[in-house]
Amino acid sequence: MAQFHEDPALLTKEKLKSELLANNVPLPSADSKKDVYVQLYLKNLTVLNKKNTSAPAPDTFSSDEEMTAPLLSGRSRSGKKATRKTDRVRPVENDISGLTDEELKGQLMKYGVLSGPIVASTRKVYEKKLQQLLEQPPLESSLPEPETTIPEALTIKAGGNQNGNTHSAEEQYSDKEEEVGPVPEPVPVVSKPVRSRGKTPVTVRTSSRQRTKQQVEETATDTEETVDGGDILKEIFPNEPATPTGITVTCRKPIRGAAGRPVKPLSLWSEESLQQQNTYTVTKSSVTDVRSATPAARPRPRRWFAFWLKLLVFIALAASLYYAFQYVTTDQINACQLYVQDNVITPIANYIRWETPAEGGDDK
Amino acid sequence: MSSTSQKHKDFVAEPMGEKTVMALAGIGEVLGKRLEEKGFDKAYVVLGQFLVLKKDEELFREWLKDTCGANTKQQGDCYSCLREWCDSFL
Repeated sequence: MAQFHEDPALLTKEKLKSELLANNVPLPSADSKKDVYVQLYLKNLTVLNKKNTSAPAPDTFSSDEEMTAPLLSGRSRSGKKATRKTDRVRPVENDISGLTDEELKGQLMKYGVLSGPIVASTRKVYEKKLQQLLEQPPLESSLPEPETTIPEALTIKAGGNQNGNTHSAEEQYSDKEEEVGPVPEPVPVVSKPVRSRGKTPVTVRTSSRQRTKQQVEETATDTEETVDGGDILKEIFPNEPATPTGITVTCRKPIRGAAGRPVKPLSLWSEESLQQQNTYTVTKSSVTDVRSATPAARPRPRRWFAFWLKLLVFIALAASLYYAFQYVTTDQINACQLYVQDNVITPIANYIRWETPAEGGDDK
Repeated sequence: MSSTSQKHKDFVAEPMGEKTVMALAGIGEVLGKRLEEKGFDKAYVVLGQFLVLKKDEELFREWLKDTCGANTKQQGDCYSCLREWCDSFL
């Protein structure tokens, strides 16, 4: 080869190895990761390339656009497997760890990955992600890649659902976040939004498990979105009947003890009716509440009165007892006893005598 | 759709409060211990990580695998547990 590749990552490992060997570059003894060969290749050959030609080194991102065009043609020549490689020429990413958080975020953005904050805890994950994106090019996400991926997609698309970009097919989902492309891989390279708010139906799908799952989820989220309020309401109140506005109201039972209401029903005459009301409200719902509300309104003022009445009676009793202990003389007690005896005991005694003549005598 | 475990149901039923990481579905004693060593001692810290990763499934799974060595099933359980919790309470 007259000209050495600017981005050795485009080549396969075998190709790299052979190139290195051809140029008498010592290979690592054991079979290493591709990165190692890429590094070697870059170090030894691209440098030479610089010396040979006056082509500008691809050290800036802005020059990518110029680079990708010649590379496109170069790639179709370089072999079948090369079509699998990324077209993005970014030698800077060979050292992903060296990137700052900002740069890492920028890199991910170029792949259409809307990354979250790159913090200490998330950095590693994003580095891995970028690495994956570099080595196996994605199923590029739905964001329309501005540069030359489109003509590339056309050339590769014929190759079917390989790792190549089926970007043009994906373009219809442009308003969505990341999507999984049609590559049936166990680990989706580009994250897929589980709760994506996309409205367009998913059409390009293979028989991958995850894809169908996402499809189900997407349709689910779609339906969820349209009937959002109703579904949530149904979830929260599964037992309530459906109403046109989604709102049901039940009359609130008057809370005892609140707003100055007595904690227990004190009215003597209304206790029975209240008990009845209680059983009603326990077994049934709003209708009986309405029913009980009206009769309850009437006894309520009565309850107050009854309460005070009871209190009064109690006080009177207490007072009389006190009076009795203090002022009443024994004579009066005796007189009272006699009186009671005469008027109460004797009738009882008579009654008993009448009932059981055998008994006779009064028991006092 | 896979059925959810009792642990999942219990977690999703109420705000997580001060529950430990062990309360998360998919996280048992071993994994919980590893997470605690890394500083993720409460469920809400893992929730924090989940949210910082923008509730992204793949990233969260990856992170979980890296941090405590969870397998695919455990990752999935934990992810769906947190996701559902967020849907209900966040």
